Amino acid sequence: MSSEANCEKLRQIGAELALGVLPGRERAEAVAHLDQCADCREYVRQLTLAGDRLAGLLPDREPPPGFETRVARGLAQPTAAPGGQRPAGVFRRSRRGLRDGARRPRVRLAAVGAALTIAVGFAGWAVGTAVEEVTAPPPSAVESEPVLVGDMTPAGHGGQPVGELYAHPGTPGWIFVSVALTRPGTRYTGTVTCFLVRADGTSVRVGDFPVRDGHGNWGVAVPVDLTRYSGARLTSPDGTVLATAQLRKGQVVTPKT
Amino acid sequence: MSGYRFPVGRLPDEALLSGLAAGDPDLAVIFVRRFQHRVFGVAMAVTRDQQLAEDVAQQTFERAWRHAQIYDSRRGSVTTWLTTIAHNLAVDAIRARRTEPLAPEDLEDLLDAVTETPERWALADEASAQVRSALARLPREQGRALMMAGIYGMTARQIADAERIPLGTAKTRIRTAMARLRTTVASPERGDHVQ
Repeated sequence: MSSEANCEKLRQIGAELALGVLPGRERAEAVAHLDQCADCREYVRQLTLAGDRLAGLLPDREPPPGFETRVARGLAQPTAAPGGQRPAGVFRRSRRGLRDGARRPRVRLAAVGAALTIAVGFAGWAVGTAVEEVTAPPPSAVESEPVLVGDMTPAGHGGQPVGELYAHPGTPGWIFVSVALTRPGTRYTGTVTCFLVRADGTSVRVGDFPVRDGHGNWGVAVPVDLTRYSGARLTSPDGTVLATAQLRKGQVVTPKT
Repeated sequence: MSGYRFPVGRLPDEALLSGLAAGDPDLAVIFVRRFQHRVFGVAMAVTRDQQLAEDVAQQTFERAWRHAQIYDSRRGSVTTWLTTIAHNLAVDAIRARRTEPLAPEDLEDLLDAVTETPERWALADEASAQVRSALARLPREQGRALMMAGIYGMTARQIADAERIPLGTAKTRIRTAMARLRTTVASPERGDHVQ
């Protein structure tokens, strides 16, 4: 069968492939063709994108009473080990037991999570703008947790923040960093090392994360007392300081339920 | 102690996910509270069984917790990511359990729900509104085939049997409907995600 014929056949079954409903043998043939044909990969990628939008149209529903509590309790039982590693079997088996290994045969890249770092996304700087200065203590109808937050500013450039850092003291504590080093003179691609800085200027290395075209987001559990730190610093592998942050104390305010 | 506070309702989804990944029990509660209606809604729409939907929703949050490391905001929002996880788990669940055929009235109700009315489109985000509108403009038989395949995970053969039509017709309906939907989805950069 010629390449053109394979492309033609792919266009006939691409929709079923993208929706994950193509039977096994046809699917295997289609995937083999995709492995060789960039045009058809792009075609199926677009169809998959369209198909995924369908589930986004499904209406929200009120879950049964107690659902939130049951799920949150299950998630919160043993906490993650330092470094983001997760204990096995934390979540109790569902009462009727779903097939854990079952998976729709979607055309997706099989991503494998790295064990020690937590690379998460962060679309914007909404948190910084959500910081509210208050003159009175939070009302009694809320629960509050301490948090440290700081705007990342580019080294030697000053001006507008290029990212943010959250540090949540706890056991374990965790930090979340998001940067967009995209301004002229600050755009960076490569590994970034994050340090937490004490008031006396000493620092501790927290870990590394990748930045691509200036953009990087990273979160990690940290087994240290975060309240002892007053700042943060991001550096390139050669030690060049890319951005710094001064941490302010704040609270995460949660309405009591 | 503090001069600042963060209204929890304004904590970004991605920051909540990061806290969840780090094992913060308080943020786990907030995370579940924020997304439970979306996740349960998807699970319920697909399974049409409250107990099974609850199990699917619970598994969805577990998956999110376990795989938070691989979440990538460039490939879609946290909501999109959770929706995809919930949908895949729900389809797996009904494929494993369902023996009875899809009730025609259930399909019609769902098709009505996802196409809605123009007044409701105005309340949705633009991308969803475009997909909703495109779905509403499809011939009804194409819309039904698309929902059966795209929401319930039915193969063309199963659709042909359910609709009492030739297999080739079922395939054509799926293909034609998806082609129209593809042209509607403008942004090639966001929306898909791996789990």
